[in-house]
Amino acid sequence: MTGDHTTYRDEVGAYLLGALSDAERASFEGHLVDCAECRHEVERLRPAADLLPRSVEQVEPPPGLKRSLMEVVEREANERDGSPSERRTPLAERLRRLLGGSLRPALAGAAVVLAIAAGFGVAQLGGEDTRTVVAQTTLPDTSGSLKVHDDDAILEVRGMPSLERGRVYQAWVQRDGMVEPEPTFEVGADGRGTVAVPEDLSDAQAVLLTREPRGGSRAPSEKPILTVTL
Amino acid sequence: MQLVGEGSPRAFELLYDRHGGAAFSLAYRMVGDRVMAEDISQEAFLSIWRSRMRYDASRGSVRTWVLGIVHNRTIDALRRGSVHERRREQFEGVEERHEARERTDVEAARREEARSVRTALDTLPAEQRRTIELAYFGGFSHSQIAELLDEPIGTIKGRMRLGLDKLRDQLADFAAGEFA
Repeated sequence: MTGDHTTYRDEVGAYLLGALSDAERASFEGHLVDCAECRHEVERLRPAADLLPRSVEQVEPPPGLKRSLMEVVEREANERDGSPSERRTPLAERLRRLLGGSLRPALAGAAVVLAIAAGFGVAQLGGEDTRTVVAQTTLPDTSGSLKVHDDDAILEVRGMPSLERGRVYQAWVQRDGMVEPEPTFEVGADGRGTVAVPEDLSDAQAVLLTREPRGGSRAPSEKPILTVTL
Repeated sequence: MQLVGEGSPRAFELLYDRHGGAAFSLAYRMVGDRVMAEDISQEAFLSIWRSRMRYDASRGSVRTWVLGIVHNRTIDALRRGSVHERRREQFEGVEERHEARERTDVEAARREEARSVRTALDTLPAEQRRTIELAYFGGFSHSQIAELLDEPIGTIKGRMRLGLDKLRDQLADFAAGEFA
């Protein structure tokens, strides 16, 4: 038991309520290892603290919460089991999920966006082994480029806003009318971010970017905010 | 629970079905924002899934354990973000409510349980109740609460401990029964 036992004993309530700073909590837990009296007091009062969340008015969670959770869980379970997950879903189906009932006008709009991206501002730089393709973006003051190698590519973005906690950027590869999920990433305080696209893109039409829940999605949940047309 | 530890999506789905509502409700009560509460709930459940659960049955029910994870994540979010300032301003205000429908006996029982715990909280002296609520639901540290209420830190710590002690007596029946 340390000489500060009285101080620690006074902090039992704050500890159980989560009201200590990280450093104070670590120090308190260090004291608990040696102090049976404080351990007993924590266990004696813990049931009261544990019941506090049960006083909360129950509200309905958004239905999308379960859906997005199960998408991540099932994808990760499939990947872990070695069975290929349902990686390729027809683009029309993904857009249907994304846009609900208004499929046809939305599809037409998406086609126009892609056509514009294909027609304007796409620069190709570099030598035979590597080329750099400039991206089209929809958010103001953002830009990006894709360095394409033989069997992978690096997407670099600039000026991208920091996302709220729990949200990440996710890359996608469009190929044969399908959109395939690629890794997620975050951007730094300077708005820069980089993500590897570990694919041979020789038969891909585009690399896309969207904002998704942490852990990534199996299908885009918004229209692309960046498009690299290949 | 064992099956969640073994990575069964169906077991995880069952866990979410049973405790997702309470988890979201707690996060929403703390941050007052449905989008943020959804993000926090998602992170908490994904951490459960990915860590293959280190649930210790000797420390209480599965629900207590899930809610503890959500509480910790929400406090992290509150202390990191700008939400705290907003919550500080809102704390006396009327909060938006999206009450759950009572569709099952389990949900009805939980609402009754919530009423009972709130009744127990109401029996505490006002300053103890307020201190506990600012800490547990507001995510404020003892020093922040001391500043907010213009009281010495020692007084705040004492109220937390005394308040929990009284609550423990009030809730002895609940604690013994541990709702699933």
